[in-house]
Amino acid sequence: MIEVKDLTFSYGKDKEALHGLNFTVGDGEIFGFLGPNGSGKSTTQKILTSILKGHGGSVTLFGKDLRSAHTQEFFRKIGVLFEFPYLYTNLSALDNLRYFASFYPKEQLRDPEELLEELEFKRDFLRKPVSSHSKGMRQRVSMARALISNPRLLFLDEPISGLDPTGAVLFRKIIEKERKKGTTIFVTTHNMLDADLLCDRVAFLSNGNIAALDTPRNLKERNSNRSIAVSYLYQGKRREATITAPELKGGIPFAYDEIISIHSQEPTLEDIFIQYTGRRLT
Amino acid sequence: MNRGFTQLLKKDFRLMLSGRFFLLVLGSLVLYSCYIHFVYAKVDQAIYPVYLLDPQGRRTAASDYITVVDGRKALEAACGDRYSVGIDLSSGTPEFYLLSSGAGTADHYRTIWAQAVLEGNTEGQAEVIGSNSREMKNRREITAEFLFFELSAVGFLGLASLLFKEKQMGVIRVHGILPVNRTMFILSKLSVFLVSDLAFAALLTVINLGLGPGAAVLPAVLLQAGILSLIMALIGFFCAVRLPDFKQFSLLYLVLAVFITTPVFLAGQTGVSGGWIDFHPMYHLFTAMKDAYFLAPNTKLPYYAACPGTILLLFLLAHRTLTREMAREG
Repeated sequence: MIEVKDLTFSYGKDKEALHGLNFTVGDGEIFGFLGPNGSGKSTTQKILTSILKGHGGSVTLFGKDLRSAHTQEFFRKIGVLFEFPYLYTNLSALDNLRYFASFYPKEQLRDPEELLEELEFKRDFLRKPVSSHSKGMRQRVSMARALISNPRLLFLDEPISGLDPTGAVLFRKIIEKERKKGTTIFVTTHNMLDADLLCDRVAFLSNGNIAALDTPRNLKERNSNRSIAVSYLYQGKRREATITAPELKGGIPFAYDEIISIHSQEPTLEDIFIQYTGRRLT
Repeated sequence: MNRGFTQLLKKDFRLMLSGRFFLLVLGSLVLYSCYIHFVYAKVDQAIYPVYLLDPQGRRTAASDYITVVDGRKALEAACGDRYSVGIDLSSGTPEFYLLSSGAGTADHYRTIWAQAVLEGNTEGQAEVIGSNSREMKNRREITAEFLFFELSAVGFLGLASLLFKEKQMGVIRVHGILPVNRTMFILSKLSVFLVSDLAFAALLTVINLGLGPGAAVLPAVLLQAGILSLIMALIGFFCAVRLPDFKQFSLLYLVLAVFITTPVFLAGQTGVSGGWIDFHPMYHLFTAMKDAYFLAPNTKLPYYAACPGTILLLFLLAHRTLTREMAREG
C-alpha cells in the first residue's frame, strides 16, 4: 500500500526535516509512526497525504508514484483524522458530516447517523452546533468525518488524544474493526500504549531518521533481559527476587512460604524507544 | 465537480449568514441611502460671495452678487472665511482682496468670478454639460463614492473575516485532503461575495438614482463593481490566509483603508487629477466607477487589460498562499 524509499524533505536551506526514510506498509496493516515533537512525524504524514510538496526520494501509494497521485481519485481513497477536531462550529455534527461527505461519490459513503451511533455520539447533540460539543464529542465527529468515505488508507494523527478511557477503548475497537475490513491504517502518535495495543508494526522516528522498525512484540523481545521479579513471603518476612528465564526451568529456585506477585521484566515500548533514540516521547 | 462547488457555495453562504454579513450590508445600504436622500442630494454650496469697497461710488450698476462694505477693515473681515472675495475700488483700479483657500486653482476661480461680477458679465460664463440637475449630479457623485468605499473597504473585510473564522476552526486544512479542487474553494468564496456586491451595487444605484436613471447606468456600474469586488475579495483572501491572526490583519487593514480610500477623498472631494495620482491603481478604479455613474464609461483598452491581469495575478497568489496554509502545522 505504501512504499517509501530514501524520503527526504527540507523546509529551507539547512533545515532538512527527513534524512532518507525507508519503510513499507502492507495492505490492511496498522502501522505506527512514533516520535517526539519535531522528529518528522507530521512532515511524513503530510507528504503521504500529498499536502506537502517537494520531497526527495520516492513515495508510492496505491501502486502509483505520489508525485502523479495528486488527483481527486487519490483523495477519494484516503481518510485523515487530524490531531485536533477541525469542524465547522456553526454547523451541527450531521451537517458537518453531510458537507464533508458531499465531495465523495454517493456509492462510497456511509450513513452519517449510523456512523455517529457506532462512535457512541449522544443523539441529543446530533442537530446542535458543534460549538456546544465537548472535546470528546468533537473528536468522535472528526473520526466519523475520516471514516465516512470508507477510505482504503486511513491516516490517524493522535487518534486517542482528548478522549476519556471509555472513549479510548471505543476508538481502539473502531480502528481494529477498520483493519478487519481491510483498511490500511497509518497512525502517528506519542502514546506508546496505543501503539502497543493497536499496531502491527511500529517505526521509531528520531531527528528525521528511523531508529527502529519492527512489531512491538519483536522489539520488546529483542530488548528484553528475559527475567521476572518475584515478591514473596518467607519466614514471616516480605522479600523480592529477580529470576532469569533459564533459572525458571526447574521452578522457583529459592525457598518461600507464599508468592505475593510475579512481574514480567519485559521493557515497555517507551523503554525501547529511549534505548534506540536516547530521547523520551514528549 | 459541480456538486462539490455547489456544496462549497452553500457552506460559504451559511457562514456569511451566521457571521451576520448580510445584516451589515443591509445596514450600510440603509445608512448610505438615508444620507444621500436626506442630506447630500440637497447640498448646494453657495457661489463665492463678492464684497465691494467703493467709497467714491464709481460703480453705478447694482448686482445681486455684490455686497457693498463701507471700509477696508469691513472688507478684510468679510473675506476672513477664505471663501469670499473682496474688491477694493478706492484707488480707481480694482484691487482684489482674498485669503487663500489653500488650493491655487480655487483661488484663481474666485478671482475670475469676482472680476466677472464686477464687469456685470455673469451670464454665459459656464457651459452646461449633460442633462443632470444639481441634485442628480450630487446623487451620482456620492453614490459612486459610497459604492467604491463599500466594495473596497467593507467587502474586503467581509471575506477576510469569513476566512479567519475558517482558519480559526482549522477547516481550511481539512479541505487540503478532500477530493475538491483548491481553485473551487477560492472561486466559491469569490462567487458569493461577487453576487452579494453586485446585488448591493444594483440596490444602492436604483434606490438613490431612481429606477430610470439607475437602470441606464446599471450595466456599466455592475461591470466596475464586479472588477472592484473581485480585486478586493482576492486581496482580502490573500491577507487573511497569509497573516497569522486578526490583530495583525486589523493593523494592515488600517494601512490599506487609507491607501485605498485616498483617491476617493482626493479625486472625489478636491478634483485632483494628473501627476502622481495617475500611478495609484485605486484612482483608476474609482474614476471608472464615477464615470460609469455619469454615463461616460471608461473605454480605455489598457484599463481593461490591466484589470483581468491583476485579477489573475491575485488569484494565483491566493492559490499559492492557500496551498501553504493547508500544509501548515496544526
